[in-house]
Amino acid sequence: MTALVEVENLVKHYPIRSGIVFRHDVGAVRAVDGISFDLEQGETFALVGESGCGKSTTARAVLRLIEPTSGSIRFEGEDITTAGASRLRALRREMQMIFQDPFASLNPRMTVRGILREPFTIHGLDADGKVEALLNMVGLLPEHAGRYPHEFSGGQRQRVGIARALALNPKLIVCDEPVSALDVSIRAQVINLLEDLQAQLKLTYLFIAHDLSVVRHIADRVAVMYLGTIVETAPTDDLFERPSHPYTQALISAVPVPDPNRERARRRILVSGDVPSPVNPPSGCRFRTRCPKFANELTEAQQQRCIDEPPALVDRGEGHPSACHYAEARELV
Amino acid sequence: MTEPLLSIEDLRVHFHTDAGVVKAVDGVSWSIGPGETLGIVGESGSGKSVSALAVMGLVEVPPARYESGRILFKGRDLLTADDKERRAIRGKEISMIFQDPLTALNPVFRVGHQIAEVIQAHEKMGRIAARAKAVDLLGEVGIPNPRQRAREYPHQFSGGMRQRAMIAMALALDPLVLLADEPTTALDVTVQAQIMDLLIRLQADRGTAIVLITHDLGLVAGHADRVLVMYAGKVAELGTIDDVYYRPRHPYTLGLLKSLARMDQRRSDRLQPIVGQPPSLIRVPPGCPFNPRCPFATDICRQEMPPLEPKDGPDHLAACHHSDQLALQQSPAAS
Repeated sequence: MTALVEVENLVKHYPIRSGIVFRHDVGAVRAVDGISFDLEQGETFALVGESGCGKSTTARAVLRLIEPTSGSIRFEGEDITTAGASRLRALRREMQMIFQDPFASLNPRMTVRGILREPFTIHGLDADGKVEALLNMVGLLPEHAGRYPHEFSGGQRQRVGIARALALNPKLIVCDEPVSALDVSIRAQVINLLEDLQAQLKLTYLFIAHDLSVVRHIADRVAVMYLGTIVETAPTDDLFERPSHPYTQALISAVPVPDPNRERARRRILVSGDVPSPVNPPSGCRFRTRCPKFANELTEAQQQRCIDEPPALVDRGEGHPSACHYAEARELV
Repeated sequence: MTEPLLSIEDLRVHFHTDAGVVKAVDGVSWSIGPGETLGIVGESGSGKSVSALAVMGLVEVPPARYESGRILFKGRDLLTADDKERRAIRGKEISMIFQDPLTALNPVFRVGHQIAEVIQAHEKMGRIAARAKAVDLLGEVGIPNPRQRAREYPHQFSGGMRQRAMIAMALALDPLVLLADEPTTALDVTVQAQIMDLLIRLQADRGTAIVLITHDLGLVAGHADRVLVMYAGKVAELGTIDDVYYRPRHPYTLGLLKSLARMDQRRSDRLQPIVGQPPSLIRVPPGCPFNPRCPFATDICRQEMPPLEPKDGPDHLAACHHSDQLALQQSPAAS
């Protein structure tokens, strides 16, 4: 397999400015703070984490919808962080996005036909017959083309959003929480559709989600993010069966499963407090302020290491990389 | 089960709108005993919140109309009680927490003040004593630095802290019943675990009965004793969590369990979705509302609404003409 996208040391800081006459930077929101990963051709790579961990910022930077502060993003070997406007427009045909809220991401004043023709118009391509083909591909009917977004249910609207993303035959699709706004009984339909399309069109998905159940089902590999950094990454089953970073363990143990006996038998690892501000992340390991292992299991000398030294994302004998000095795989589900 | 604390009998709440009559709750009955946790699950628009809102008197009449039913709290019907009697119960004996604490808390008053206000509305207590009790409550729900936090405004709290503050307010008067409407849906999963842990602890300490309204079948499996499954304003199934998850007798329950992606299982080839989509409550299909999506549906399902009847045992109810066929199916929850 070859890498379609290579992200290296990606950093995105949003400056915080102060002053009315003399504007000056007083700090920065360190939304993404030096992360690296590859997307292999045809795989689904999931970025998971809680709100504010930087997963959506990362996704948007990969599409260059926002300018990274530093680091490089290569698409088929080409560094796109330095691509100019016209090159970027051409690249956008190759990479598309599906959004969480299909109501907010579809123009309410355009018919579905208009929405699906727009990508072709922008890129100066012929759209004849394409709308019907796209609707068919996502399981909608030709007569839906004349309708407006509000005439559809949530699941159908998401299908329109998917059709729009597919219009120009992209190689990469960034799916930003594509099913979390949908009703439970509709989710499975959309997940199946995404999987069918991937098999049919050889798509590569960068899948952003906070719902670990969906991620376990759809992803080939997963990276867990916390406060702008990747804390653990592994093939999906590996991550869920042998999580070794305390944050991943807390995350997995916090997700309830629809099985009463299992729920009774499970042990929850509770983390305390809230996520610290990304303006001023803790020194050393960023998770240490909430880490149950740091609080309950480590000696003072060991704790000092967490405070002083940011743990590298490397394999410490657990079979996959984890950014914890004291990584230790645990079985939780 | 012992004598129920709160029970709803054949409740029908219909909203009269320009587009037609929305039958949000259409013949729903449930009850809850002391210290028990009842889960109410359903998708958006299934009417799962409306019966709880009706208990609190938060359903506006009009546009709503109570077509039938009683809401009995300790034997008194809240629907026919006068304002004074209802005010005494609401907030004190029965209280409610909501999905979005930012809209439920008043943005222009300090958090401590808002909690003290609830206490003073029901108990003869001075301002200072009420404030002190508010601080104690904030501490009890796990807010660090409660004295200082009580003087802050809701926007200064994080999502999890706001939910804790709302729980403190709801528990201020030691209610017998707590209605929790999607209490953790807006929160991150590690914070959800903290909040559920808090609710369970408070329930154990005080013996509060909790009605947990949610779309998350996992949350109910982990925290409820019994579960009510709602579909299109009607009860599809009601029973203990073990009965409903391991021996579902309604095709909607079975379909939901089958369609879920599971975090605790290696991926299956494909998910098995329920076909179609939930009906609009203005145009609920005749007969069983689930019939257009149901793999078991026959002619009778399109003509007659199946009654909610006991299956297996007296406490496991399902509204399905074909629930006998379901008994032969292996539940996906059993692993």
